[in-house]
Order: sequence, then C-alpha cells, then structure tokens
Amino acid sequence: MAAASSSSSSANGYEIPWVEKYRPTKVADVVGNADAVSRLQVIARDGNMPNLILAGPPGTGKTTSILALAHELLGENCKEAVLELNASDDRGIDVVRNKIKMFAQKKVTLPPGQHKIIILDEADSMTSGAQQALRRTMEIYSNSTRFALACNTSSKIIEPIQSRCALVRFSRLSDQEILSRLMIVVEAEKVPYVPEGLEAIIFTADGDMRQGLNNLQATHSGFRFINQENVFKVCDQPHPLHIKSMVRNVLEGKFEDACSGLKQLYDLGYSPTDIITTLFRIIKNYDMAEYLKLEFLKETGFAHMRICDGVGSFLQLSGLLAKLSLVRETAKAF
Amino acid sequence: MGKRPVVVISSSDDEDGGCSVSAGCNSSRTKSERSVGRKKCRRLKKASVLNRQLCKQGHKEEEANFDALLKDFYEDFHGHSMAPGERGRRQKLGSPWADSRELWVDKYRPRSLEELAVHKKKIEEVKMWLEEWVRTSKEQFCGHVLVITGQAGVGKSATINVIASQLGAEVCEWKTPTPTLWQEYIHNANSGTHYISKLEEFETFVERSTQIPTVILVTEYGKAESGDNTKYSEELVLSLERAGASKVAFNPLTFNSIKKTLSRICREEQCNVPPEWIDHIAKASGGDIRHAITSLQYFCLRPDLMLPLNLSSLSITQSRGKSEDLNEMSKLIINSDENLDYEFSLPFGRDETLTLFHALGKFLHNKRETVDCSALGRDLFTLKDRYKRFPLKMDSPERVLLQMHGQARPIADFLHENVLDFLSDEAIEDAWIVASYLSDADCLLSTSLHGQAWSPIVAGKHDPENVTQLVSASVAVRGVLFGNSHPSPSRWHAIRSPKLWQVEKLRWHNKKLMLLEKFEAYNIFSSYGMSVMATEYKPTLKRLGFRSLEDLQVCRKMTECSKMEVGVYDLLDHDEVEGGTSMESEEDEIEDW
Repeated sequence: MAAASSSSSSANGYEIPWVEKYRPTKVADVVGNADAVSRLQVIARDGNMPNLILAGPPGTGKTTSILALAHELLGENCKEAVLELNASDDRGIDVVRNKIKMFAQKKVTLPPGQHKIIILDEADSMTSGAQQALRRTMEIYSNSTRFALACNTSSKIIEPIQSRCALVRFSRLSDQEILSRLMIVVEAEKVPYVPEGLEAIIFTADGDMRQGLNNLQATHSGFRFINQENVFKVCDQPHPLHIKSMVRNVLEGKFEDACSGLKQLYDLGYSPTDIITTLFRIIKNYDMAEYLKLEFLKETGFAHMRICDGVGSFLQLSGLLAKLSLVRETAKAF
Repeated sequence: MGKRPVVVISSSDDEDGGCSVSAGCNSSRTKSERSVGRKKCRRLKKASVLNRQLCKQGHKEEEANFDALLKDFYEDFHGHSMAPGERGRRQKLGSPWADSRELWVDKYRPRSLEELAVHKKKIEEVKMWLEEWVRTSKEQFCGHVLVITGQAGVGKSATINVIASQLGAEVCEWKTPTPTLWQEYIHNANSGTHYISKLEEFETFVERSTQIPTVILVTEYGKAESGDNTKYSEELVLSLERAGASKVAFNPLTFNSIKKTLSRICREEQCNVPPEWIDHIAKASGGDIRHAITSLQYFCLRPDLMLPLNLSSLSITQSRGKSEDLNEMSKLIINSDENLDYEFSLPFGRDETLTLFHALGKFLHNKRETVDCSALGRDLFTLKDRYKRFPLKMDSPERVLLQMHGQARPIADFLHENVLDFLSDEAIEDAWIVASYLSDADCLLSTSLHGQAWSPIVAGKHDPENVTQLVSASVAVRGVLFGNSHPSPSRWHAIRSPKLWQVEKLRWHNKKLMLLEKFEAYNIFSSYGMSVMATEYKPTLKRLGFRSLEDLQVCRKMTECSKMEVGVYDLLDHDEVEGGTSMESEEDEIEDW
C-alpha cells in the first residue's frame, strides 16, 4: 500500500509522514491555543525568553511551537544555539551533566536579548535525579541559556524546576481548529473526501492534531478516499457513541436496545477488551447518580477482570449489561 | 578569614528525588557525589572532621579556593546581597543588556528587608539568630548552625542574603558545582591548574566554615510522591536539630505579600497589568514567589491581551473550543481523561499535586452540599431514598485521584485503615457498605498485583492494567464516599498508615528468615514446603525452647540423625504429643524421599 501511494502522491519516491511534512515552521502557524501561541510570538520577536514549561496532552503543538520559536528567535544561529533532547536521547544524570553543561558553556555570539535554548522534549520522562541535576545548571547559566521543557503532565516535573519556569499550558484542540488544519493538508495533497469522512477523522483524533493527520494519511494511503466507513476501518476503535448510547439505553431501562447495540458492536469484530475499556471511560465521564456510577464502575471492573482472565465472550458483555440493568432496577424508586 | 563576620550558606541538591536538600557544611553533599547518596555523606562528614587539622596549614591556598567556590554565586532567589567580588562579576557579564536579558526573578530580587515578601516574624527570627551570633563571642556561642526549611521559592536564600547585607556580613555560599567535564579537565591541566575533586573542594569549604555561623537551607518538596524520599530530608533536619541546630520553618508566602511584590514589579516595569490578573497569578503560584514572578514575566509578554478579564470569562475562553461543534455528532464526543484536567486549569500556576493525605482527607471527610441542587434533576428517574446522596463538595473523585498521582493499592489500604474513624458510631450499615466496596476494590486489584511494579510511564492509556488500577481506585474511593452517609461530626483525626503494611512487612521478614534457616538447616532436604516449616517445625522448635543460633545447630543435627532427635524428644513432657507426631510424620517423609 505504501508503495502504491508513494508512486502516485509523491515524486520523492517515498512519502514522509504528513505530520512532519506539514509541521508549522512559524509560531504564528501553530493551530489552537491562541493565548500561548501569541505570547510565544512575542518572545520570538523580542527575545529574552523565560524558562518555560510547555504542558499539555499529546498532539497539541508543544514541540512544534517551541521548535518554531527557536527557529524564529535565533534565525541562522539556530543550529549552534539550540540543543534539543527528547526521550529517545539518553537523558540520565550524565547527559544533563555533560551534554547540557557543555552546550551551556559553549560560546555562541548572539545579538542582545537572545539566549541559547535547550529544549527538553518529553521532560516528564526524565528521572528526578536528572531533573535535580538540571536545576543547578539552570541557575548557573541562566544569563546565557534558557530552557524550554515540553511535557504531558507538568506535575511530573519536580517542584524546584516548576518554580523556576513559567508554565504554558496547551489544551486539546477544538474540532474547528483541527478541521482548519486538515483542510489545508487535504487541499495540498489533493485528497478526495466527503465531509463525513473528515468528521470521523476529527472524532478519532479527539483533539490530537498528530493523531488526526496520521489517521488522515493512513486512510488516504489505504483507501484513497476519505469517508466515514474507511476512516473507522483504519482507525479501529469501538465507536464511543455506540457505547454511550448503550449506557443510555441501560439507564433508560431499554435493556433490549442496549443488548442489540452490544451485539452490533460485537459482530463488527471488536474485541471485548476494547469494548470494555471504552465502556469504562464512558461510564467514568457519564453524568449519572453517584450510586449508579459507583455500581456501574464496580461491575465494569469485575467484567474487565474476567475478560482479562481470558473469558472474553459475548456472554460476559451481555451479563455485564444485565447486571447494570439490575443495578438500575434496584436503585429505582417506584 | 575576613574581619567582617562571615555567614556560610550551603546548598546542594539531593539526588534521590523526593527532597532537595540545600544542605550545609556538616551534612551536605556535593553534586559530584550525588549518586553516592546519603551514606557517603556521613562518611564525608567524618572525613571533613579528620581533615580539619591538615587543612589549617594551607590557609593561603584555601583562600584562593574559597574565592573559586564563591564564583558561582548566581542564584535566582529574590534576595540580593552579594559579596563585592560577585557584584563585579555580575556587572561584567550582564551590564550591556542587563535589562533585556535578565530574568525578572534576578532583576527584582529584594534588596532590603522591606522588599522581602517573607513573613516578618520569620525574618526577625533569622535576623535575631544572626545578630546573636555577631554579638556573642565565638567561644560562648555554641550552636552555630541554623536550619531553614520551606518549599521551593519561599525566599529562604533571599532572606539570608538580605539580612547578611544588612548586618554587613559577607555571605560565603556553597553552591554545588557542576561536575568538571573531561575536556575542561584537559584544558585546565594544560594551563597548569590542578584538578581538585568536588568532594575535596567541599571539604575545604567545610573546614573554613566551622568557625562561622552556618545556615543550612532545606527545600522541601515532593510530599505527594512516595513517602520514602521525603524521609531523608526530614531525617536530615531532625538529626541536625538533635545536634543542636536551631530551625526556622518558612511557610509558603501569603497571597498578599506576593501580590505586593508583583505590583511593585509591575510598577517598575511599567506594565499595566490589571489587578485581577495579579490576584490570579498570585493565587495560582501556591506561595511560590519565584514562580509568581516568572509567570508575571510570561504574562507581560503580551500587553495587547491585558484587558480587564475576570476569571469567568477566562474559563469561557478555555472551554470555548469545546462548544464549537461541527455537528450533532461531535457534540457527544467523549472527553478523554486528560480533557477533564485541562478544562479547569488556568494558563499559569504551578501544577499543584495534591498530597496523598490531602486527598484522603477529602475522601474521608466527605463534605457534601446540604441542599440538593437542580443538578440531579436531569436524571431519568428518581432513586430510592437510601441511594440518594447530595452532590459532593469537590471535583469528581477521578479528578482528585488524577491530581494526586496515587496508586490504587495504597489508596485502598489507607482508606481501609482510616475510614472507620470517620463513620459515625451508630452507622453500622454504612460500615458494612464501605467494607463491601473496599473488598471489591481489593478483589479488583488482586489481579493486577504482578503488574503494579511497572511504572505508569510504561503502561499506556489503554493498557488493561491501567484500567484495572483506575477502576479499583474509583470503586474504593467512591465506595467510601457513598457508603459514609452519616459522617461523624468533623473533628481532627490523625490518618494512620495502614497496619496491613506492617503486617505484610513482618510477614516478608519472617518468610525470609525462615528461608534462610531452611537453607542453613536443611540444605540436604530441600523438599520441605514453607508451610511445613511454619506450621510444624517452628512451633515445635519453640516449644522445645530453641531460640538462639546454637540451637539451630542442634536442630540440624536433629534432622541429620533421627535417633538423636528422638532422644531429645524423649526428654520432653508427654503433653507434647502433638508436636511429636508432626515431627514423626516428617521423619517418615524424609525416609520416603
């Protein structure tokens, strides 16, 4: 499939991931999180970047914006004055000590207001020992080197480092924002699509730009056409909506509807583990009475346990639905 | 040593993560020995005492050394009091672009006592201590170590520096040096300077500081993480106190003092930041002024946005993205776990990790609204009265759990240990409900026991283990919340650590001992199960009165030669029959085997 797509869609002989191909190179082009992005733009213009922690869920543009910022800020000095380390690099204490220190000591002639930048991507996966070592380095070289840490959960960064950094939060992108970016890509790549297809992609992306682009590319190279069916074929996960309506049916007392919904899902070939995992997430966020939620969670937990033990049968799932209905019946006032 | 009084501050970081110890002369360690940790530190202490005599001789050399040590005196606390040498260096480095290049935390470090945001009383305490030292002669003054504790960014070092400058004292600060790189070493060797190990440097520093008052700064943090790490810093502080050090604990800064400082900076920077935002930044910083200032700097990056906004409009901008839906379908998109998190959080502010105890308190006290607001009206049907609960006065339990980064197992154990204190005495029904849910949670957890050791980083979001953990934590917490329908009137309860853990620990210990004994005594017959050991041999041996190691040897002989054992056995009273039979039965086993 990949070979076929490469011959048709790109002349390079191979296709680079669209995520990379369409990665914004300017801070201004970063989609979403308008507030954070506009501030970063100011930094890109004026320099004197404070130490930053960029925190947010994956695929929201943390790395992209910080890389773009570094490029814009440092221009042609970018190669010498930026050190980027991510989780795939070794970042134990030794690296923090040696590589980062060496970089921080390096003399790079920069115009006033500019600093060398050390980008630590996925900083939450650094050991706390390494973070400790970093803390010291951050202080000593703060007049020549600034740090930008990107991470998913900022609370995994030790407090002394958090204390030294301004926290920039990135939130999930809205559907609109993802759509706008997808449209650019779709047009540039001349992908045939129907609106429902894009909608499905946005749904599977769940606020994650990277996921969205990957899904788009995968669907495109697989089926050459973006429609809902193809998208869900490629990005296979039990449709949360299905499951949500199942839960709603249970709550409304329509047990048979719930069962037929489950049967549908099961017949589509989803594994019970997938179904139950999605079910758990939905129940967790579903708005229902406290007792019901507790009981539902409990029953789901037990069903999950059984399924993990290998009893992944349709019977288990139906049994779960029955139990949920039973809970509802016992709790209901007549 | 200069004629002026000299204050020594020592700072170094603790590598074991949980705590960071800006530790002092006697007990701190340098960065270079991070990996060695505490044990080495103790050794270092001894070593430094031993070396004292030696070092006294090379006074001149030390002086040079000392200056070298001082050179990294560039810290981002807000205190400002520099040794003359420092100031020169700073100017040399920063003067041309001092304004545009500096971080605000450096630019606006306090220069006088008035500018310090620390509580007056605490400042007074520290000041008194230092003045006391200056007044009394060195011979009389015995305790010359002061320990200051407090979380990151409460102005520990700032206070010392400001006070010292007020007293006209010179501050000699030990900042853990970054390790020497190989290239550096080569370079230095070529230029004729000798490499001095960081440990030695530190020792010399300590040598010099024994005569002058010493302030040790201990940064506390990471209490939310596993308790093991914090123990070290607590232990350190305790042992210092035992050794006669006085201690001053700095609390997180108050909202007002942070606000004052921020407003001052705004004035000086001529940034027109609306007061609501200052309030907000101050609130979000969690008593950490360094973070507050950094946030302010970040905030001021975008003057065009600084319209008077209030918090409600802020949250609207935050969630606006979500309401813009493509169509009916996407309206129903399920927010995944993280979404919950980011919806509520504001653009600044440290991520506050709830401590385990804080969260447990929330769960156990079970504060609820007293009126049933309309929120429950959306339900499709009404519940029976006994299943009804008023809405919780906190975020959803899952969110709290997420904030505290807890593992399900300890949470369930803690809840189990403590929940009974929080139930009202008559509510036996409640106790029953709570217990049954906790047992359910326990049951759910038992399947994931083997997976518990895996770090959450490895386990993905959709990992089945992860789901088990989440479900059981939810069930435990929600069970406690739901079950505790008649919370006992709120009064102070100490939260105990689970007794279960002690028992478990003891069990492991015993098992290990038993295994050891087993191998020692019966290395020839390894076919015994542990249960046989525990239920039959051990009690019998106890009855026989064997306790010490020499008895073990007897016992070994005993098994090697059954005759002898029978002999010993014969000596016993005859009411020991039971033990005897068991012995015999084992004897048979051996023979069979």
